[in-house]
Amino acid sequence: MRDDPIVIALVVRAMEGEQAAWDEIVERFSPLVWSICRRFRLSDPDAHDVGQNVWLRLVEYLPSLREPAALPGWLATTTRRECLRVQRLSWQHEKQLAQPEIDLPADEETTQVDRWLIADERDSALRTAFAQLGQRCQQLLTMLMRDPPEPYAKISTDLSIPVGSIGPSRARCLDQLRGSPTVAALIGGAVTTSGRRERRDRRMVGR
Amino acid sequence: MTGAWWDDDDALLGAIKVALEAAEDVPANFVETGKAFFAWHDIDADLAALTYDSASDPLAGAGTRADPAALRNLTFDAGRLTIEIEIIGDVLHGQVVPPQAGEIEVRRADGTSHPLPISDIGYFTTAAPEGTFRLYCRTTGDIVVQTNWITL
Repeated sequence: MRDDPIVIALVVRAMEGEQAAWDEIVERFSPLVWSICRRFRLSDPDAHDVGQNVWLRLVEYLPSLREPAALPGWLATTTRRECLRVQRLSWQHEKQLAQPEIDLPADEETTQVDRWLIADERDSALRTAFAQLGQRCQQLLTMLMRDPPEPYAKISTDLSIPVGSIGPSRARCLDQLRGSPTVAALIGGAVTTSGRRERRDRRMVGR
Repeated sequence: MTGAWWDDDDALLGAIKVALEAAEDVPANFVETGKAFFAWHDIDADLAALTYDSASDPLAGAGTRADPAALRNLTFDAGRLTIEIEIIGDVLHGQVVPPQAGEIEVRRADGTSHPLPISDIGYFTTAAPEGTFRLYCRTTGDIVVQTNWITL
């Protein structure tokens, strides 16, 4: 895990008032915010409510964000707390006597948020790298990811490639993806495990 | 970090699938709503902070019983200008103090907004907005003020 230079650049540009940078931030981190809502099993309207409040708060928080690298941690923590708030409201609404205890001690909260951030960073890097692959590779990998799997004969017909070259093409496309800057940086960062503590300290600065 | 997802081709393909599905799972309007909020990041407008809310005033309960139609009173103060709103039934009545003409916008969290005139005596009215919204006010005296986000 490392400080993503792309994220840092986006935050700086958004702080200067650039709408396009803000749009990219929202696109980049919507899957993170949405997936946290899903983990809390919120209904769609509640998840939208949480999303609105998270982005509203970010617009107002942005000028005081001193450490741009702290953004992902701030977003995950804020989303998590908004989810808890919405859950509490719906429990009150249903007048349940016993509220399930699902809030966590601070250190466990940090561990949980860290896990989400690591998964999110990996997902984001893979999406970026996938989008940068050539169209042929994207088509082939998409077909190979289908569940249930597509027969090689169909892949061969649809993409006009011999059955015998599907396996080697798959390996070549995946190697290309491994070599893309976003994924390569992530793999390099994960190999040196010292990044975890560093990132956690940064996030605290952002609160 | 155990079981390196990047070493093995099958694991890598599985990780790509998870990553793409995580993005596809997000509704388009969830993303679009988030983008729309930046337009309201107006550094030129003074923020009118909520200074009174009948919903959090224990004494307001008595008044509500005496006048069952009055559901909610809110006051936002930006120093130079105060915006008072009252929700009666499903109608929002508003007053800017000191009284002056201008225009006020109801800016909703879903990205929409609509403008309303403020009369010469500082009065405005509209249907009570649903969901999260804020009021953005520009008076003819060029005072620009926006309230905190509100959910009725």
